[in-house]
Amino acid sequence: METSIPKTSTILKTLLRADLTTQWRNRRAVILTLIVPVIILVSWKVYIPKFGGPFVLSNSIAIGLIATGLMGYSNSIARDREKGIFQRLRVGPLPAWTIMGSRIMVQLGMIFLIATFVFIAGYEFDGVKLTAGGYALSYLTSIAGGLLYLGVGQAIVGGIRSPETVNATSRLIYFVFIMSGMFGEILLSEGVGGKILHDIIVWSPYGTVKTIVAVGMEPAKWNNEASMALLVTFGYTIVFAFMGIKWFKWTSK
Amino acid sequence: MKEENILTVDDLSVSYGKFNAVQNVSFSVRRGEIFGLLGPNGAGKTSTLSAVEGLLKPQGGTIIVDGNDAVAKPLHARASLGVQLQSTSFQTELYVIEVLQLYAGIYGVPMSKNDLLGILREINLEDQATKKFGQLSGGQQQRVSLVIATIHNPKLVLLDEPTTGLDPQSRRQLWERIEAIRDKGHAVLITTHSMEEAESVCDRIAIIDHGRVIAIDTPQAMIDKHRNDPEVIAVSRRGKITLEDVFIALTGKAIRG
Repeated sequence: METSIPKTSTILKTLLRADLTTQWRNRRAVILTLIVPVIILVSWKVYIPKFGGPFVLSNSIAIGLIATGLMGYSNSIARDREKGIFQRLRVGPLPAWTIMGSRIMVQLGMIFLIATFVFIAGYEFDGVKLTAGGYALSYLTSIAGGLLYLGVGQAIVGGIRSPETVNATSRLIYFVFIMSGMFGEILLSEGVGGKILHDIIVWSPYGTVKTIVAVGMEPAKWNNEASMALLVTFGYTIVFAFMGIKWFKWTSK
Repeated sequence: MKEENILTVDDLSVSYGKFNAVQNVSFSVRRGEIFGLLGPNGAGKTSTLSAVEGLLKPQGGTIIVDGNDAVAKPLHARASLGVQLQSTSFQTELYVIEVLQLYAGIYGVPMSKNDLLGILREINLEDQATKKFGQLSGGQQQRVSLVIATIHNPKLVLLDEPTTGLDPQSRRQLWERIEAIRDKGHAVLITTHSMEEAESVCDRIAIIDHGRVIAIDTPQAMIDKHRNDPEVIAVSRRGKITLEDVFIALTGKAIRG
């Protein structure tokens, strides 16, 4: 008689419940992830007359996405791998993809939460209000952007075994993205930097996400540049995710 | 009655790059048997176990778990296995009862909160249900790990050095629990460095060294077979031949990594 194995949907549901509980117990970190975008929203209120509400909101969302997708995801994976939690799960009758699939689903939930939080805070603090279509498209572009940063996070834990080095690397990339993306664009608007710097900033993983989220807030303004930014975002996602999955080892030894 | 093999390992080879960790290893574990895998550090015990668990892909040989090929049908093979890894760690944010719930779900065993509390009651840990795994003592952690390994009533239980770091009381208690698993008709494959444990608990043992099985028998038969070997007599202490003397004589005195 052949041994029966549990349904994948049952396993996924079980993993998801455990991962959501873990995320809930880490709510202090979640709150910090939500606070940073709000600080940007409040402190950048002065830029709204010059650059518009979507500029500030999209930067806030992009920063939140990096914090959860790149830093939160990569650090939790590196930590659990170091503790042998994945190895313990893998000796069970479950497909390996369900372990990561469940975690990615939790991160997608976080992305949704960040976008919602920024929309509410944007309305409350900065008076930025979007159309229903704008909100809907912004959620979709936020998820597309979030997937890109999850891909970057996966590439980091794929290439680096030590949790401490993963932490340091993700912080460094976070810092680089903030500096090049947020402040780079402001500098460019002040006439600092040339075309090369402009292209680097606009087509960087930060720039493309910021573009699609910003234009997504005003669907009527969707143009070729936004479509191209969306394609580039997908391209980055595929490349980083491919590298991250190819290099990934379940054990840190 | 014909003895039924729950695990059959045949001609197994495992390599890490150019290093052959396991070479042409063959053994079987029968229903209702505690089988010990003994060997010095780096002998290939954990690599053998990891191949059975599906954590690494062997370069050669076959592993059949309850009729399922562990390489061709890994999920079916793993469904028949209960595993306690050498350094077990569960999600640090989850309570003990939630960890039990997680693994019951993974193995497709529906359990209510009362069922889970009942399991914890059986191992005298009901009052620890809402503590985190890391807050338990070493002995308590081992009890929880063992109960998780057997939560789905597996036909074969793999225990990788389960008593390492335990005090004598906890060790004895764990032995009794392992014997109780055997007495329910399950097969148990255990790796250990403790010759006392092997003699006390195992029905049969295999000694593995440099990736090869060098002896398989019952502990007593192995002692009897080698009792008069000059190498065994030379390493024996206080005139009594023990399994440890046979082990040292077969694997050498040199300290391994």
